[in-house]
Amino acid sequence: MAIYTVGRRRVIFGLLLTCALLLTLDLRGNPVLDRARDGFSRVMSPVESATDVIATPLGRAWNGITEYDDLERKNQALQDQVDRLIGTQATARLSVEEYQELLALLSLDSLAGIPTEVAKVVGASSNNLDQIIEINKGRSSGFKVGMPVVNQAGLIGKITSVTDNTAKVLLITDARYVVPVRVLGAPEADSTPTNTNPSGQTNEELEDLVATTVGPSTTLVTDVLNTGTTLPQNDVDPVIFADVGPLVTDPGAPGGESFEPVVGEASAGLDDPVDLVAAATTTTTTVLTLAAKEFGALEGRGRGLIPQIRFLQDNPSIAVLQEGDLVVTAGGFDSLAPPDIPVGVVINRADRSGPGGPLLDVLPYADVTKLNFIRVVKYTPLSEVEQ
Amino acid sequence: MLAAIWQGPFIRLVPAGMVLLALQRSLFVEFTVAGVIVQVVLALAAAAGAAAGSERGAIAGFTLGVMYDMLEGLPIGSTAVAMTLAGAVAGLLAVIVADPQWWLAMLFTTLGAAVGEVMLPVVRLFTGVPDPFEPRLTIVVPVVAIAAGLLSPVFVPLARWCLRIKRVDWVAPPREPAL
Repeated sequence: MAIYTVGRRRVIFGLLLTCALLLTLDLRGNPVLDRARDGFSRVMSPVESATDVIATPLGRAWNGITEYDDLERKNQALQDQVDRLIGTQATARLSVEEYQELLALLSLDSLAGIPTEVAKVVGASSNNLDQIIEINKGRSSGFKVGMPVVNQAGLIGKITSVTDNTAKVLLITDARYVVPVRVLGAPEADSTPTNTNPSGQTNEELEDLVATTVGPSTTLVTDVLNTGTTLPQNDVDPVIFADVGPLVTDPGAPGGESFEPVVGEASAGLDDPVDLVAAATTTTTTVLTLAAKEFGALEGRGRGLIPQIRFLQDNPSIAVLQEGDLVVTAGGFDSLAPPDIPVGVVINRADRSGPGGPLLDVLPYADVTKLNFIRVVKYTPLSEVEQ
Repeated sequence: MLAAIWQGPFIRLVPAGMVLLALQRSLFVEFTVAGVIVQVVLALAAAAGAAAGSERGAIAGFTLGVMYDMLEGLPIGSTAVAMTLAGAVAGLLAVIVADPQWWLAMLFTTLGAAVGEVMLPVVRLFTGVPDPFEPRLTIVVPVVAIAAGLLSPVFVPLARWCLRIKRVDWVAPPREPAL
C-alpha cells in the first residue's frame, strides 16, 4: 500500500503543473491539442454508440416512471395549444412572407439570405456547471465556431467548437455566453380592432362557434427560415383573435405597423370550423407599438438561472424599461448573431444604485432544457469576414 | 517500454474510463438526483485514490480528467486538475490505514469527490468564467460526493482492477521453532 511521502507529493504537484500547462496551451489555441481532441472524439464515437444501445431504453424507462404524470399534463396543454394555432398558422405564414417582401423592397437586413441547417441534439453537458449541448453535424456541414443557433422559439446559443461531424453549442444560459441585444417595448394596442363579417354574424355568434379564440403567436422561427423569409420580429405574445383574423406586426417600423393578410387565400382548403370562421372574416386593423428602448448585453448565469441584461442606461424621458418588454438580438459589427432574432421577454427589473443601470431578467422563449432539433444559422459576422 | 505500457495502469484505466465517460454522457445525464448529474468519472478518480493511494489516485484522476476534457470540449486540464486533486485527497486514506475497511474507503471517496467538485468552479474562475460559484453548488457538491460514496463499493474494486492493485493478504508470521 502506498505511503504518503515527499516524493509522492512531487508527483501530484507535477501532475497539477502539467494540467496548468495544458490549460494554458489550450486556452491560447493549440492545433496539436485540437487534433488530439478530434481524434479522441472519433475513438469515442463507437463506444458512445454502443453505450446508447443500453442507455437509451434505460433512460426512457426511467423517464417513463418519473415523468409520466408531467408528460401527460404537458401533452394536454400542448394539444390545446395546437388546436388554437392550427386556425391561424396559414395566414400567419402568408403575412410573414408579405413582411419579407417589404423588407426586401426597403433593402433592410434580414435573415432571408442566410442559409441554415437543421441538426439533432445528441448530447448534453455531463457536468453540473456547463450549459453545452452537442449536435450531430460539424465542420463537414459548414459549421464554424461562433455561428448562432436557434430553434422554433428563438435564439438558443452559439457554436463554440466543431469537429468533423459534431459541434458543441454554448447555450444562452451559460455564464460565458454574452450577446448584444435590443430591448423593445411590449406590444400595446393603440386602437380597438375593427371587425367586419361578410357572413353577417356577430362576434358573439362566432365566439359560440369557436370556443378558443385567443392564443399566442403562431409563427415559428423554423417555419420562417424554411420559407426563406425573415425570422419573426418581436413575436412574443401578440394577441390573435380567431374571429377577427390574425395580426402581423412590424416592430422594426417606429410606432408599429399592421398588414392586412389575404385571409381568403390563406384559409383555402381548410376544413376545420375554426379555419372556416377565420376565413369568413376579413378586416383587422390594430396598430401595435413596438419601439426600441435600449441596447444592452445579455449574459447567461448558469444552470437553473435565467439570463440577465446588463449595461443598460435607464432614461425615463425616452422609455422606461419594464416587465413585458421584448428582447431581440441587436446585430452589429462585433456581434456573432444577426439582428432581430427573438431571444425572450423581460420578466423582472432590478434597479441598482450608482451608474450601473438596471438589470433585466429575461425569460428565453426557447426552453433550453428540452432541445431535440436545432437550426444553425450560417451567419458570419462582418468582423470576421476575410478581407 | 511496450511491456511497461502493457503492465501499467493505462491499459485498463483508459478503456474503463471510456466506457464510464460514455455512460456519463448518455445514461447519467438522464438519471439526475435533485436535478444534479451524478459524476461517475469523478467517482472513479476518487475511488482510485482510496484504493491505491494519493500518487496513483492522482495519476488516474489526471488521465480520466484529460479524457473528460477532450470529449466534452472543455479546455484540456480544467477538469483534470479537479480529478487529480480528487484522487490525491481520497488517497490520504492510505496515511491512516494500510488495508481500509469498505466504509473508510467510502468515506474518503466521498471526501475526494467533494473536493473535486468544489475545484471545478475554482478552476473556471482562473480561466475567466464570470461568477462560477453558483448558489446551486450547495446542493451539487453534497449530491455528487454522496453519490460517489455510494458507488464506491463498486468503483473501489474497479479501480483496483484498473490499477492492478492486489489486496494485501495478511498472514501470521511463522512461529519460531520451540527450543
